[in-house]
Amino acid sequence: MTGQEYAFVVLALVGTVGAVRLVTAKNVVHAALYLVVTLAMVGSIYLVLGAEFVGWVQILIYVGAIVILFLFGLMLTKAPIGRESLDNQQRGLALLVALAVLAGLVFLIQDAFHWGDRKMNLVHNTTGEVGRSIFQHYVLPFEAVSFILLAALIGAVVLARREERE
Amino acid sequence: MNPTIDYHAILPELILSGTLVVVLVVDVFLRPPRKWLAMPLSFAGVLAAFVATLTLIGADRTTFGGSYHVDPFAVLFKVFFLSVAMIVLFLSLRYFREGRYYQGEYYFLLLSSVLGCVMMPSSRDLLMLFISLELVSAPAFLIAAFRKNDPRSNEAGLKFFLIGVLSSAVMLYGMSLIYGVTGSTNLYEIGKALAGHLGGQETLALAAILFVVTGFAFKVSAFPFQFWAPDTYEGAPVPVTAFLASASKAAGFTGLLQLMFVAFIHQAAFWGPVFAAFSIFTMSIGNLVALQQRQAVRLLAYSSIAQAGYMLLPFALAGHGVDKEAFAAAVTYILIYAIMNLGAFAVVVAVSRKSSALLIADFAGLMRNAPLLALAMTIFMVSLAGVPPTAGFWGKFFVFRAGIDAGGIGIALAVVMVVNSVISLFYYLAIPRQMILVEGPEEPMRSPALVTFVAALAAAAVIAVFVYPDLIAHFPPLSTLVGS
Repeated sequence: MTGQEYAFVVLALVGTVGAVRLVTAKNVVHAALYLVVTLAMVGSIYLVLGAEFVGWVQILIYVGAIVILFLFGLMLTKAPIGRESLDNQQRGLALLVALAVLAGLVFLIQDAFHWGDRKMNLVHNTTGEVGRSIFQHYVLPFEAVSFILLAALIGAVVLARREERE
Repeated sequence: MNPTIDYHAILPELILSGTLVVVLVVDVFLRPPRKWLAMPLSFAGVLAAFVATLTLIGADRTTFGGSYHVDPFAVLFKVFFLSVAMIVLFLSLRYFREGRYYQGEYYFLLLSSVLGCVMMPSSRDLLMLFISLELVSAPAFLIAAFRKNDPRSNEAGLKFFLIGVLSSAVMLYGMSLIYGVTGSTNLYEIGKALAGHLGGQETLALAAILFVVTGFAFKVSAFPFQFWAPDTYEGAPVPVTAFLASASKAAGFTGLLQLMFVAFIHQAAFWGPVFAAFSIFTMSIGNLVALQQRQAVRLLAYSSIAQAGYMLLPFALAGHGVDKEAFAAAVTYILIYAIMNLGAFAVVVAVSRKSSALLIADFAGLMRNAPLLALAMTIFMVSLAGVPPTAGFWGKFFVFRAGIDAGGIGIALAVVMVVNSVISLFYYLAIPRQMILVEGPEEPMRSPALVTFVAALAAAAVIAVFVYPDLIAHFPPLSTLVGS
């Protein structure tokens, strides 16, 4: 195994543990913090693969912004964050479905790419390439995404706003 | 390496984007009694975009490096989506003004969703398709929950959101696998790559196609992914339901048509039977459950599920040598369905002013109280059942003919469709029966002029298309998306 592969194994293991704890944690704030671990590991895997732009964006946006947003959301909506059970009675079924999906996907990916007999050619200067394609061919979806975010923001404010009339 | 943008080709999208920003800003400066002015403003913008689209008729333009096409297929659907948007605006004015909902924000969100619809038929790239679909759905989740004080509306928005997000995730995963197998996100390039030798990755490619189809099956409420639709349709504000059942659903179908007939056409032998099963179960389950409904919007919701089954049927015929005919039949059906469905919802909007529960029993005596609306509703119900002399007949006829021409499984599907149409007559005619035969309280019903206008216009269109089917049937075969 190369150093890259050792690094991948460590990152993947830590990320998986974080993901499992994320769904089993009893406290929402802890769950959000486990999410940080998982997302940071995913970002690091991108870095190991040489996709530095995607890797840093993953870390900046997800770890830096999205999780913070979760925590702010919990704080501002005064959602119950105590030890109340976040589970319902479906956890056995959910586990079964999750394992079935995992087995199916592992089989499919393994069947198509096989273990270790496919070497990817890493593209260098990915940041430049990504930047060029976003602002040339993909500038339209890029702009459309800003409308999605604007719509989500405004809609969320309308729905979350307390009515004064009633 | 420095592509210029074809601004004329994306003019309708630019006008819509400008309009929705203006609506949002102007709304801030309007005093509460004048908030409704956001509607005429939105209407002007949609109309301008409509005119801009008309200037693109006959065009065949490509921009953004082949990811965005403006061809006859795209223009046809853009004209259609913008027309639907104008009609939904008409239906919304009184409803949102009298309900004192947040009007400026509503029109902004509605137009955002319309923008997504308009981008959809031009998107010939997985990424573009995905973003367009999200732009259709995200504002729709929110306006479905706009009746904030009604728990049913909250439920509508939440269910729609959770299902929508789940289906997007499944679809996106499938798309990423497709990119992994073919190395491209362009639909034409994917089609070429999937036609060739895949080097042991066939299974993965087929699974990825299945993921993408599953995602879209949620959006168009195909069985077994239909369970969210009745609750969402019932709880959402009625004009929003009208939009969801026509434009949003049609947007899902335009995406599906492009994917299946351009990118995945070489795998038709694999996914054709999947669509056959989807189609049979969707129409049968929709119709059988609709038979037991007592509430008008739920009835229309199950009817719209059943109708999705008819629209899925032509997909099952792909690869049987009738691709072009099947494609045109699907497009024609979608367009005709939207007209009659919008008309039916216009009448429901009018009745909802009298009784918000909207039971079928509330339609009793409508023939005496509002003869014009009752007549229009009768026409829509007959048309949805597919009986002449209405447009719905031609919609079913083209699908039926494509099925017969395909032979084999196509004939079986066509027969199932006819049996289902007969079943559907029972519940479609329940509403006219109430309106005409059952005595209701005698009180003349006053319905907003715009709503009556929409109902009358749609009824006239349904009859006109029956007399001259080419009013609609002329356009879908012009599409260059599918080779003969």
